[in-house]
Amino acid sequence: MNTRRVSRHALLGMAVSSVLLAACTATTPKSEDAERLRVRLTQLQSNSELAKYVPLALQDAEIAVKNAEQKQTDPAVAAHLVFIADRKINIAWAQGESLLAVDQRKLLSEQREAARLQARTREADTANDRATAAERDASNQTLEAQAAWSDTADAERTARELQQQIDEMNAKVTERGLVLTLGDVLFSSGAAQLNVGANANLGKLAHFLNTYPKRTAAIEGHTDNIGNDGNNQALSQRRADAVKSHLVGREGIDARRLTAFGKGEGSPVADNSSPEGRQQNRRVEVIIAELPAQTTRQEVQKYPVTKQTAESGLRQ
Amino acid sequence: MIRVATRRDRLHGRAASGLGLISVLLLAACTTLPEPTVALAAAEQAIATADRARVADTALPDLSEAREKLTAARGAVQDSRMAEGERLALESRVAAELASARVEAAKAKAVNDEMKRSTDTLTQEMQRKTGARQ
Repeated sequence: MNTRRVSRHALLGMAVSSVLLAACTATTPKSEDAERLRVRLTQLQSNSELAKYVPLALQDAEIAVKNAEQKQTDPAVAAHLVFIADRKINIAWAQGESLLAVDQRKLLSEQREAARLQARTREADTANDRATAAERDASNQTLEAQAAWSDTADAERTARELQQQIDEMNAKVTERGLVLTLGDVLFSSGAAQLNVGANANLGKLAHFLNTYPKRTAAIEGHTDNIGNDGNNQALSQRRADAVKSHLVGREGIDARRLTAFGKGEGSPVADNSSPEGRQQNRRVEVIIAELPAQTTRQEVQKYPVTKQTAESGLRQ
Repeated sequence: MIRVATRRDRLHGRAASGLGLISVLLLAACTTLPEPTVALAAAEQAIATADRARVADTALPDLSEAREKLTAARGAVQDSRMAEGERLALESRVAAELASARVEAAKAKAVNDEMKRSTDTLTQEMQRKTGARQ
């Protein structure tokens, strides 16, 4: 305490003595340093952004600048006062910047929150969009899967139906295709007149051809060995033709899908020595052509046809 | 004895200072001043405070200046140049205080810059995402 008081008094003493001594020295103009200090202090004081934060520091600086503006005899003291004033101004400036920064933080944090919110909203939107897209994709996939399944189901149903039809007609799978044998009960002996309805197989054949419109059929007429070859040949042709014209005229099958051949007595399926054998040989065979390999495999091989003799289907 | 002496000291304190003032006025030019212990202590304190504040690069010159001034002040006091010692001690103190003020300002700005940066990053990210979406 005592020391401080004494030193303060000492300073005061110094000041007073320097004022007294100043009287006998020539008045020196305000130092350039002091002028520069005043300019900087005024800048800071008129800086509306910073000045309001540091009234006390500015007051300190003001006092220090005023001290520096006092004429000094001792250049060391003058330099000292300039030094102090310069640092005081800088302190006020730095403190002002600190407080301004702190004050700006509120606005900055608001801006950041706004940006964050916007980002989150955007993210949510994007997520929504993605979810919608995903849903759309999923439903598309479901549709595709359903379509694929239904294709498969169609194919399976087609194959099953085909198999069923083949079974119903008692057709036989041969190298030439599906062979359906229409027995001689269709015709009166020696006649080519078709007894419609006498053989249900004819109806089934028509149904089959209507169901599978891409398939074509070859109709072959056969006879037994009774009578001469020429007659039998002609008879077999007429019987084949009769079947064809029935299918075209009555069942509405396109004539281009059907061909009719007379095979005569040359292709027996049984012994002509017995009446039963001869009856088996008097027949019309309908050969349903295979479709191109792929379709055929799909349709037929998937459900292998049980081996059946042509004859088993003849007698019904 | 001690108590009496103390009281007497106190009683004579003002008289002594008044006497001191007069002597200073009379012998301003050549007098020997007491040691500027308070100014030196204040300068030391200010330097320690600035040191604790983990001085940023911007404040380093001021802090070194404060240390140099303090050393010079001690040297002047040792040589009994008390007035110069006191001035140097005062200069050391304001230099250290300026170092502290600069550290504070740098810290405050760094915090704000970080906030601005994160806001900018958010905005940029958002624009990029939006851009990608369109």
